[in-house]
Amino acid sequence: MKIIIVGAGEVGFHCAQKLSEEGQDVVLIDKDPEKIKRITDNLDVQAVTGSGTSPGSLKDAGIVGADMLVAATDSDEANLIACLLAKNLNRYILKVARVRNREYLEEKELFGDSLLGVDQIINPESAMVETITNLMTVPGASDVIDFVDGKIKLIGYTIAKGSALAGRQLSTFSDIYGNLLIGAIIRDEKVLIPHGMDTIQAGDLIYLVIRSNELNKVFSFLGINEKGVRNVIITGGGDTGGALGEALEDSKLHIKIIEKDNLRCTYLSEKLSRALVICGDGTDKDLLIEENIGGMDFLVALTGDEENNVLMSLLAKELGVKKIITRISKLSYIPLVSAIGIDTVVSPRLSAVRAILQYIRRGKVISVAPLKGEHAEAIEVEALETSDIVDKPISKIKFPKGALVGAVIRGEEVIIPTGNTVVESKDRLIFFALKEVIPKLENLLTVKLDYF
Amino acid sequence: MNVNSVLRFTGILIIFLGVSMCLPLAVSFFYGDGSSNALALSLVISVGLGGMLFLLTHKNKGAHLSHRDGVAIVTFGWVAAGIVGAIPYMISGAIPDFTNAYFEAISGFTTTGSTVLPNIEGVPASILLWRSLTQWLGGMGIIVLSIAILPFLGVGGMQLYRAEIPSPVVDKLKPRISDTSKTLWKVYLFITLLEIIFLMLGGMSLYDSVNHAFCTMPTGGFSPKNASIAYYNSAYFDAVIVVFMMVAGINFSLHFKLLSEGPKVFWRDPESRVFISIFLAITAIITFDIYGTVYDSIVTAFRYASFQVSSIITTTGFATADFELWPTLSCSLLLICMFLGGMAGSTGGGLKTMRVILLIKHGYREIFRIVHPHAVTTVKLGGRAVPQETLNSIWGFFTLYLLLFVASSIVMAMLGLDMVSSFSSVAACIFNVGPGLGIVGPVDNFMGIPIIGKWVLIFCMLLGRLEIYTVLVLLTPEFWRK
Repeated sequence: MKIIIVGAGEVGFHCAQKLSEEGQDVVLIDKDPEKIKRITDNLDVQAVTGSGTSPGSLKDAGIVGADMLVAATDSDEANLIACLLAKNLNRYILKVARVRNREYLEEKELFGDSLLGVDQIINPESAMVETITNLMTVPGASDVIDFVDGKIKLIGYTIAKGSALAGRQLSTFSDIYGNLLIGAIIRDEKVLIPHGMDTIQAGDLIYLVIRSNELNKVFSFLGINEKGVRNVIITGGGDTGGALGEALEDSKLHIKIIEKDNLRCTYLSEKLSRALVICGDGTDKDLLIEENIGGMDFLVALTGDEENNVLMSLLAKELGVKKIITRISKLSYIPLVSAIGIDTVVSPRLSAVRAILQYIRRGKVISVAPLKGEHAEAIEVEALETSDIVDKPISKIKFPKGALVGAVIRGEEVIIPTGNTVVESKDRLIFFALKEVIPKLENLLTVKLDYF
Repeated sequence: MNVNSVLRFTGILIIFLGVSMCLPLAVSFFYGDGSSNALALSLVISVGLGGMLFLLTHKNKGAHLSHRDGVAIVTFGWVAAGIVGAIPYMISGAIPDFTNAYFEAISGFTTTGSTVLPNIEGVPASILLWRSLTQWLGGMGIIVLSIAILPFLGVGGMQLYRAEIPSPVVDKLKPRISDTSKTLWKVYLFITLLEIIFLMLGGMSLYDSVNHAFCTMPTGGFSPKNASIAYYNSAYFDAVIVVFMMVAGINFSLHFKLLSEGPKVFWRDPESRVFISIFLAITAIITFDIYGTVYDSIVTAFRYASFQVSSIITTTGFATADFELWPTLSCSLLLICMFLGGMAGSTGGGLKTMRVILLIKHGYREIFRIVHPHAVTTVKLGGRAVPQETLNSIWGFFTLYLLLFVASSIVMAMLGLDMVSSFSSVAACIFNVGPGLGIVGPVDNFMGIPIIGKWVLIFCMLLGRLEIYTVLVLLTPEFWRK
């Protein structure tokens, strides 16, 4: 498939990198010759210097023969114009646009076939809000991903020193079989797809699969205090902070939003009924202590200033907040901040990359979530009638080493599989797989040719 | 520098060149020319040598190639290719000593076409085919061919591609580097086949047609005949070869675009417009210069002028006339053609038309700025602004080119060559033309150059083919610093 990406910022660059590694033909357009140079040095893609809002540049990039356009610049307006031009130049092209301004998103007919004809809108802010609310459902988790419309949750949890789980072999967890499954262990930045003989060690990040309505089983398994989250403080009441406040309106949480700007505070307090809006600076230690920061279960640092977010998070950690989520846009900062003790990061750009990739790879693969460090993925797929995996117990299927079935969904029923589970056609499966075995896994999952 | 990757890739390249000896080997069996043992042995040695390098470095693979690695792989790859190319000459006894065999091999791969063989027709047919094959492989680039064939290069491929392709600006025809290389090679192969067919239609034997096509398309200039194309003395062959030499001197991306945009593309592209105009202008001047003084008929004068001009400007080096006997004006114009060379992205050598255009435009801009000191001006090519960085790089390139040219000529003169021969032998090699003037003229060969001189010329040929920077950067201490 030929994909044109407009905008070689972080979102465009990372999408291009992933897609090119997956074997797609990628053409990137950007105005900045420096960025174009960096791309041609690092990626096996075609790079065109020019503006995505210029029909000439789009033609240079070969829009006429392309299958998809991804408008991923930082400017909503540029993205929308690029889609409009693309529609005009190539009627059959699929269009994905990154749009952040909520006002645009409310004008639904704008994106319809009669006007822009955008096939998929990527709004990183709302994706980020979803990630944050998910993380709040499991206190202490460093990653929570929804599958099958939220019926299944994938929970990443770091094993603390002295945890009862540390040192136990996976095969000793037989009592929880069928309810819960450990799909991946991340140890020293390396991903293991575990066997029964593997042992959990302190410091591991483990990924669990669980039915969403049985979350309390995870709590008892991980030894988490079941009371869950009660008090949340949000620093930064901008677009994302406001949206998060709105999303939490219906919850039973006590929410405080700290925002610097007086006018914005007034606006938020008018709009939100549940949250308490406080006007002040999130890096002000006295203010935080005054607002009983030590008693908070969650601090979400969402200001637009990433350095401030990092400082706030470190301060809050020192003041005793149990769990901190930090917003960082620059992807290159993410490995750095984890080294200084900030473990849960949300990034609008990373969210955008994920959302774009999920859309592009849809089809047989229903959804994909990269696990931490991106060396492994959790993939949701449909078991095709003619593939090699149906009508056999899982233990008889010849999976490539480094791949594992995490859950089987049959209609409304969710099965956490054991070796004896039989996969039927039309089942939806969740796989854990190392990046390098994904092509092999895809072969296994696709239709056998001799069937026809 | 990632030594492991460099050795590994060089190993693969050696295996690949070894395997390509199958073609001359088959010809050798067919003609029974007595070289089959020598070629078989060369094949085994090359594959063995390459295989050893490959296996020794097999364990730690998959490292990311940096720009530096790309440059090192390409340069070392070409140096190693020369060794592989020399093996059949030495084993078969066609050129027994190493310096001469290596000279002939590098002259082949760099598509120079300078030869040390005094009697070409005395060499076995299969060895001559190998000689032509080295030119054909080197023309579009042995590294580019490996990128096209070997799928695992991925991102690193771009570093290699850029280090080998003879052009100041690198444009990709397809999003993937391997697809771009494949496309270029397909176009190259297709045009080569076309030339073979046209030559055979004129009555040339299959063997000779293949040899000549293998040496025309890379703008190489080896011929299996002592007298080169003059052997046939046929206006038809002259015409066919002139057309194909010009085709080879044009950017291959344009040939690819011809499919989608039609023949207008050659005139619309500013570089090819200038290239064709220069060819026509110089041909016209030389035609009138030699009409009456050398040839009695204007048609004959045009025939020889157009052949010599296209042969030299595309840096092919075929000859149908001894142009040393022509008037001085014609001789000097031909010498200027050597400098100009083909278009960027073609298989031709020399300075490249695009660089010449940009040098002149840039020079004019500097003069313009004296008149209008505050004017904001950009150098444009085909309506598009050329980045200052590219212009600077071209000036640097030009300066280094001239410096190396002068330095090498002085070395040649110190070795005892006369002035015309020392300048023209270096020009013939650094611009990848083939024949020069004086003792290395179109009817002579390079056997008489002293050994040190041959090594200087080998270095010049590599410099010319890999466009100076790629080779010279390896000689800087910064490159080797960790």
